[in-house]
Amino acid sequence: MKIVAGILTLLFTLFGHEHTDDIKADILEKVFTNISINKEIIIWSDNENLILEFKAKANFATASECSDASLLILESKQNIDKECQEKAIFVMNYALLKDIPQSFGAIFWKKGRPNIVIIAPRAKANSIKISEKLDDYLEEKIW
Amino acid sequence: MVKSKDLVIFSLLFVLGISFAYIYNEIKTTKEDIFTRIEIDQIEHISRILKNIESDFISSLGIKNEYDLLESFNNEENRKKYEHIASLLMTPNIKYAYILQKDDTDRFRFLLDASKTDKAGFYQKFDVTSPEYMQAYTTAKPQIIKQKNIENLYITLLHPIISNGEVIALFSVDITTEIQDLIHNSVEPLENFFIILIVIVMLFMLLIILQLFHYFITRKRVFTDPLTNTFNRNYLEELLHVINLKNYGIAMLDLDKFKSINDVYGHQTGDYILIQASKIFKASIRAGDILVRYGGEEFLLFIHNRNGSALDVCERIRESIFLGEYFYDGNEIKTSVSIGLHKHPSLEKNLHEAIKIADKMLYLAKKNGRNRVEIYDEKALSEENSSSKDISFVKEALDEERVVCCYQPIYDYKSGEIYKYESLVRIIASDGRVVLPFEFLPQIKGTNMHYKLTQRILHIVFEKVIESKKSISININFSDLTNPDIQETIVSTLSNNGELASKITFEILESDEIDDVELFKEKTSMLHSLGAKVSIDDFGSGYSNFKTIIDIEANYLKIDGSLIQNIDINIKDYKVAKSIIHFASQSNMKTVAEFVHSKEVFDKLVELNVDYMQGFYISQPKATLIEEEELFL
Repeated sequence: MKIVAGILTLLFTLFGHEHTDDIKADILEKVFTNISINKEIIIWSDNENLILEFKAKANFATASECSDASLLILESKQNIDKECQEKAIFVMNYALLKDIPQSFGAIFWKKGRPNIVIIAPRAKANSIKISEKLDDYLEEKIW
Repeated sequence: MVKSKDLVIFSLLFVLGISFAYIYNEIKTTKEDIFTRIEIDQIEHISRILKNIESDFISSLGIKNEYDLLESFNNEENRKKYEHIASLLMTPNIKYAYILQKDDTDRFRFLLDASKTDKAGFYQKFDVTSPEYMQAYTTAKPQIIKQKNIENLYITLLHPIISNGEVIALFSVDITTEIQDLIHNSVEPLENFFIILIVIVMLFMLLIILQLFHYFITRKRVFTDPLTNTFNRNYLEELLHVINLKNYGIAMLDLDKFKSINDVYGHQTGDYILIQASKIFKASIRAGDILVRYGGEEFLLFIHNRNGSALDVCERIRESIFLGEYFYDGNEIKTSVSIGLHKHPSLEKNLHEAIKIADKMLYLAKKNGRNRVEIYDEKALSEENSSSKDISFVKEALDEERVVCCYQPIYDYKSGEIYKYESLVRIIASDGRVVLPFEFLPQIKGTNMHYKLTQRILHIVFEKVIESKKSISININFSDLTNPDIQETIVSTLSNNGELASKITFEILESDEIDDVELFKEKTSMLHSLGAKVSIDDFGSGYSNFKTIIDIEANYLKIDGSLIQNIDINIKDYKVAKSIIHFASQSNMKTVAEFVHSKEVFDKLVELNVDYMQGFYISQPKATLIEEEELFL
């Protein structure tokens, strides 16, 4: 419940601010602390600022190459190398969930409000375990 | 004392600032009021349209519950149709319009989205954070969410879609801040204008505060003695113009044998004693009392009447100084303070006179052994002496014609004849007692009653001279001579009667009242021109200015009685009298000696070759003009 409250607080905060990378990193961090991918979470993103935010927070390891990472955060489909396509992917756009089949979750802004979606079957297919604290954000399919 | 101009400007600025702040607040309130009215109007307008759309699809699609609605909008054709209808709502003021439905897990999902941008897919989840979404469901009443900086959204209207009395979905319309921005942008320059005015006014107020602060700091420096941190003489000069002496007693304080402390222990020790003493003075007085370092080891203390007895304050100071222990450089120094107190300084002509009297009392305290308080209480003295002999006493006497004159002969010992008489005023009290002038004159000094009394005396004496053909002196003050009524009486009576004028001598009291020498000369010249004579009374006791005396060409100098009465035993008085007689002789003036009370005094005056004499030895004042045979009885 605390996690949901924390995320909600962050979402509230986001209402009042630009979608700055530090706030995106805060939400992502809350989400990632409640998932497990059978290996150490090493984060890579096509948004360099996000990587810097994660580095600064120092709660998760980061990688400068996507090949060294275990979890990718993508803002654009074009920014992913072929060799990384099979890794666990979290996207920053709802439409990307459809475009990138390996992606298992997304944070994005709908009607000016931040939203989180985690596609449960995809997470399961990637052996990603989702804590029940994120149940409110689980979806069975992409609508 | 405060610069009143600055205070007036400060007050005006304050009022101006408050007015500007009030106007600014009114503009803001009006703006908010306009916002609210627009908001109500918009919401009402949109709600009606939404109600129409809702009625249309509920009846057209035959919707009875939420599942019917879900099923209906799952149909793309239906969805597109109503998205098109709802999209007609879209204006620059309405950014998003969509229908949300709560699923079994209480998550909100899009059923329909008429928005032109950021369109959601059918049944896509929508994370809501505001409790109003659930409230719209539970209460079945429209909800308004005020947004803060979500893109440019202003409010979100949640309109419940009701079928068979149950909420089956929510119409959600996001209204932009377009109109509000327009109003805000229009009003903003006016708001900024008043903010600038308020800031300017506040800056000016700050400037005045700084100026006043600087003024007070400078004043404090100018008016404070740096060693004792008490007021200095500059402050005393300032005080002259503002202090109401009726509210104060004044005390002159002087540290005893302070010079010895300086000489024996050095100036640093002297300074230490001054600092300690002034601390004790300050600790012994109360708010409202004013302590001034008058000079050296001398302090002037104004004791406010409301702070109790001035004598108690002085005694407290004297005792505290005496009991204090003072150590400097390993030496114990003993000191005490002598105090001269004037309890009613307002009875004096001015502050300087009052200080002079307090100083005299201080001198007396020193003379009587130091470490003591000497009091001058003219009021008590005066009250004691006069009891009821005030202005009304004199008025009644004038009204009832109880003012009389006695006449004391002025004797020419060389010829053995009475040269002339001095008229002396008396009042016969209602009980028949004869009241002497010192009992009533001080009370009427400077009042109109004094002038009336002088007028009466003039009439009595003029009549007496006409009746007796004898010469008589009249005592008169300088202030009497400057009084137009008295001057009129003198001029009108004497100008037509040369014989009368030649027998009249005006004895003018030599005193510090003669502050305008030129006027004095003018008035004595006028008396001379009428043929009257002028005598300077009590010469030698006042502030003699020999040049003025010569200039006015007085006929007589009457030597002050205090110099005469002990002339047989006091060599100094003898010498002074001798000098005056010599001066008068050289200046072509005759001398008169009064207070001749014994043969010894008489003989001494003969020895000094004084011209005329008067006194009890020769004759007491009598109600009639006595003859030579009645002298020396």
